[in-house]
Amino acid sequence: MPIIFVCSVPFGGGERLAKGLAAKLGYAYLSREDVVARSNECGIPVGKLEVAMIKKPAARERLARLKERYLAVATATICEKAAEGDLVYYGRAGHLLLPGIGHVLRVRVIPEYSQRLDTAVQRTKLNRERAAAFLDEIDADIRTWVQFVHGVQMDDLQKYDFVVNLEHMSIENAAAALCGIADLPDFRPTPASRRAMDERLLQARARIKLALDPRTADADLTVRSNEGVVTITYMPNQASVAPVIPEILCALPECRELRCTVASTNVLWIQEEFQPGGALLAQVNELARRWGAAVELLRYRPDEPEAALAAPVPQAAGTAPRGADGGIEDDVVETVADADRAFGQMLDTLVHAGCSGGGHTVAGSRERLLAAVNPTISYSLVLVGDVFLGKAAAARTRMTRELTRFLADHLPVPVLPAAELGAKLRFGPAQVVRLAATAVLTAALYAVVFTHQEVFLNVLGGPLHDAHPWGAVALVAVLAPLAAALNAGVTSSLLRLLKLE
Amino acid sequence: MPELLGSVFIHVTWADALVVVALGFVGGVLSGFTGSGGAFFMTPGMMNLGVTGVVAVGSNVAHRMGNNLMGSLKHAKLGNVDTKLAAWLLVPALVAVRVAVWINGKLFQLKGGHEGGGEGAASNLYISVVFVGVLTAVGIFILRDALRSRHSHDAEGPSMRAANFVSRLRLPPYVYFPVADVKVSVWLVLLVGLALGYLDGTVAIGGFIGVPAMIYLFGVPTSVAPGTELFLAMFGGGLAALSYGYQGLVDIRLTLLLLLGSIIGVFVGTYGTKVVREVLIRLVMGSVILLCVVSRALAIPVYLRQLDLVSFDRRLEPWFNGASTAMLFVAGLGGAGLILVQVVKARLAQRRLHETLRVTRPAAG
Repeated sequence: MPIIFVCSVPFGGGERLAKGLAAKLGYAYLSREDVVARSNECGIPVGKLEVAMIKKPAARERLARLKERYLAVATATICEKAAEGDLVYYGRAGHLLLPGIGHVLRVRVIPEYSQRLDTAVQRTKLNRERAAAFLDEIDADIRTWVQFVHGVQMDDLQKYDFVVNLEHMSIENAAAALCGIADLPDFRPTPASRRAMDERLLQARARIKLALDPRTADADLTVRSNEGVVTITYMPNQASVAPVIPEILCALPECRELRCTVASTNVLWIQEEFQPGGALLAQVNELARRWGAAVELLRYRPDEPEAALAAPVPQAAGTAPRGADGGIEDDVVETVADADRAFGQMLDTLVHAGCSGGGHTVAGSRERLLAAVNPTISYSLVLVGDVFLGKAAAARTRMTRELTRFLADHLPVPVLPAAELGAKLRFGPAQVVRLAATAVLTAALYAVVFTHQEVFLNVLGGPLHDAHPWGAVALVAVLAPLAAALNAGVTSSLLRLLKLE
Repeated sequence: MPELLGSVFIHVTWADALVVVALGFVGGVLSGFTGSGGAFFMTPGMMNLGVTGVVAVGSNVAHRMGNNLMGSLKHAKLGNVDTKLAAWLLVPALVAVRVAVWINGKLFQLKGGHEGGGEGAASNLYISVVFVGVLTAVGIFILRDALRSRHSHDAEGPSMRAANFVSRLRLPPYVYFPVADVKVSVWLVLLVGLALGYLDGTVAIGGFIGVPAMIYLFGVPTSVAPGTELFLAMFGGGLAALSYGYQGLVDIRLTLLLLLGSIIGVFVGTYGTKVVREVLIRLVMGSVILLCVVSRALAIPVYLRQLDLVSFDRRLEPWFNGASTAMLFVAGLGGAGLILVQVVKARLAQRRLHETLRVTRPAAG
């Protein structure tokens, strides 16, 4: 059965609908108040956080860490409750808390305005005019909060599966309709969606434990989880927290392995199949070493439905459990197992290279791939390797190019086809020629200026300038950017030569 | 040549050239590290070499013109530029730049000017006073903020007091900036644009207040503020550079020498921000600024004497100049040295940590 998220604004009837729905279905009921209460217990002052985010926009960067913790507490609270049984959650933006989980029904409730106003007047004891202004104000505050916490508009209807407009439907009838929808197979849990939720819970619990421990409370840590492997990356300037992380997380339930990586930044490598060894891995390792980056692997299976990802990836040495689907199923099972084993080996290779940022798998559309990219992680580069392996070469090239462009349009980081990485890192003859050429040009520019100082100074501030002041303008407009470009060219080439860029 | 050198431009010896390159490097390190431009170090540094203040400013803004262009293109590629905000700031900034350059040019021609004898003393005094006044306030604010947050539990991030104050003000009309996702009063935008342009045109430190103003007053995210400021500076700083060029107050030799040192310095400083805690960045920034202020303040009596506003033995002038130069180099080299040490330490530590990656297997339960 699904987790049903009912989202609405205060006094809008959403809470009544959610409670009624839970009662009809016999589900447990959880509300935002429960999440807020647990957050406060965990030392996250949600009230203050809300005020700070809504009223003090400059606080955004400062409060980002607190927001992360709040999201972790909310995720953990909902996942834990859902693990006990079926669940209806009521809140303002609960539908955004578990992205990528299949068995979630997201319902938006649009209130009937006059009824909402009446309820507000009754509960706040304000007159109608002031109550209306009050409602406008809290609606605006909630929109700001949702935009800050989740980075999307609350009114974006694409984020919901079902919209209930209470102007045309009673709460009771809406609840009855939702009972039927909740029973649809589209919202039933699958092994993959259950597994994804377990990962979310594990990740959230790790985040909370680290946030609650005073030794790591102020550290900027990135937490990832995949198949029970929790990967923590920390900044080089917070190296002192490294020894205590395993100590803090040692008793974490369901965590079968813990990996800690120091990283200044992150590189995301998207590919359909990963094979240890090869030139590309060496290049990525080289890049990670130069940048001090953690490399996160994202195995993308565009031709498979999400439900295909049921088996634990690194442990797939044997045959994966799989329903008979006819055709060449034995071959397919063997191939998948080999691929999973290779993926696990690849992760181990990165661990031994000291630059593992974890890895996970996603299947389905490119939108699903985009949703799998964690927006809270600061990436410096996204590499797109070989994908669409089931397609012919020409189609594969086109589709890879389109995917790269799609990601570049939607992610605020450079997205590079992996095939171009070698050219970016290589310092071959072409780069030597370029370095030599820019160095010679730079030297020539400086030589000309400093051996003809009188001419230049005459143009810039002498009698010639008095006669033709625009000559000085032209000289500055040409020489300053030219010298900057040449110097930058030489410097970047030298840094690349020294593998320091 | 001699008459040119005597009136506007200095004679650049090999030693001077090396010093200007070093000024560029240190300024670049501080600029990359603090993200607020290195003019607060480079401009007074050149003035201590005997460069007239207005030429030091002109040469410095010309040096920044090229850097701004490249930096802004990079930021634009990453989507870190709010062009609408930049455009709103640009209009008042361009007006203020023109006014500032005009004032500097007029002051430069006062008392001696091109005729020699205390050349540009009025302009030097004006630039120094603006420099000391503005940067004292900024330096104290940053340092106090850093020291406070260092001892508080909620240690990271800039103070929000200014932003809180501004958010309480109701100054319609408001304009929405989509990339930064903030709504700001038009009056506030105009005010900041004017201040930014004036300081860019007067002391070449517009960028220095532009980024903090966007973050502290407008609530612009820290990833967007530097990109937007660079985009703005590409036009505002460019106009300032060309205006100074038109008035014959840019020494392209100094511009080229500054560029030689600053680009590599910016790289080092930028790397430093990745490996040094934010509170330390603000401590270094505040300390260096205040030391630069002291250095500039030590030079002010010399200009006052040259303008006959105070009188003291002329033989004391080299002492004031020497103390000012020494203080400036203590500030710059101390700050840049500290950053370099941190960078090297972090690099070494990172290598060690990569070798000792922890892979533990806690008991599942």
